[in-house]
Amino acid sequence: MNWIELSAQTDAEGAEAAAARLNEFVETGVAIEETLIPEAGTRFDPARAFTVRAFFAAHQRDALARAEQALWHLAQLRPMSPPRLRELAEEDWAEAWKKHYTILHIGQHLVIKPSWLDYAPRPDDRVIELDPGMAFGTGLHPTTRLCMGALEERVTSGMTVLDVGTGSGILAIAAAKLGAREILALDTDAVAVETAARNVTINRVQERVRVAHGSLDVLTPRNLFDLICINILAEVIGELAPALAGDLRPGGILIASGILDFKAEGVRDALAAVGIALVERKQEEDWVALVGEMKNGQ
Amino acid sequence: MGKKAKAIVKLQVPAGKATPAPPVGTALGPHGINIMQFCKEYNAKTASMAGMIVPCEITIYQDRSFSFVLKTPPAPVLLRKAAGVEKGSGVPNRDKVGSVTRKQVREIAEMKMKDLNAVNVEGAMRMIEGTARSMGIEIKE
Repeated sequence: MNWIELSAQTDAEGAEAAAARLNEFVETGVAIEETLIPEAGTRFDPARAFTVRAFFAAHQRDALARAEQALWHLAQLRPMSPPRLRELAEEDWAEAWKKHYTILHIGQHLVIKPSWLDYAPRPDDRVIELDPGMAFGTGLHPTTRLCMGALEERVTSGMTVLDVGTGSGILAIAAAKLGAREILALDTDAVAVETAARNVTINRVQERVRVAHGSLDVLTPRNLFDLICINILAEVIGELAPALAGDLRPGGILIASGILDFKAEGVRDALAAVGIALVERKQEEDWVALVGEMKNGQ
Repeated sequence: MGKKAKAIVKLQVPAGKATPAPPVGTALGPHGINIMQFCKEYNAKTASMAGMIVPCEITIYQDRSFSFVLKTPPAPVLLRKAAGVEKGSGVPNRDKVGSVTRKQVREIAEMKMKDLNAVNVEGAMRMIEGTARSMGIEIKE
């Protein structure tokens, strides 16, 4: 079956009104897209910032004509582009989004593989199976990649690891695949906790990775970890610095990521103030990851 | 996490009935969003509201993860209910289909306040009034 897309560009209020009218002619609903970043070479125009789209099956020509008319009348009251028609071939939308993903290599040995793709691992590969979803962390973002690179260099066999803000669980799983003995993965978001737990099971590391809901305050009694990774935001890392220091053994490693480069110095200072000295700075695009070491005797 | 929004997509689809077909698939697919996961979550959260159009706002991040929030019913739906009419006007600048009072406009504005981009209730009321006019619904004192 082919579809006909009817769309128009308008402002915020026009979008609401157009969506309401279009919903009278279609049963499947309408989509409103908001332009956040204008395409290169075009100027942002608030009167055209919203695109409203409705879809008609080929046999719904009548409804389409009436919907077009309704938009025309609305355009007399609101800033609105002339309605645009586009024919769309039926495709398997349930599968089509998957073409945006491929096998991802990070660092020397880490490989991220979506479940629907086949991959023949090389002997030293550490393969993480991960499907993109609601929780952050698919390896596509620089902050995640920076962390994974640092983990690969720092995790040694038998370590205890704490992952703060685990999201999809990707970093905790990577730590397990790299040989960590015991990993605690925390997130304050219930959706993330559920997703991470599922991904941990899919990757068969559930015996070493425990996923829990909450932040550092759930750690009672406090354990001293060999390595902590925290991939959140500069402000959060700064705030949690004293608690992070309290959970790290002397000589333990902190990997802090999610930091925009102009905020890196502030984070470095906050960590230094609690006895975590900077040993490495990694950067990709405008994102920075800091690797620190807990000084003895703190 | 370093979350940075890449796009915002709003969908107004029937509660409990999201499928990968348009408009869901066509709106989210190009962003690499896990369509089935979205449909499952949306349908689970809206199952109790069957028969209503429940708008939701999906924020898509740079790594193609996403989050979404359900919104209050669209202003036109609330206006139609307040005015006691089934449909908006096909020719809103000429044919009026009904009217609402300023008190009703204020009630709708207050209900939708958290979803509207308005600084105060008066601003939200002006938006609701604008929507009413685009539907051929007059405002009475």
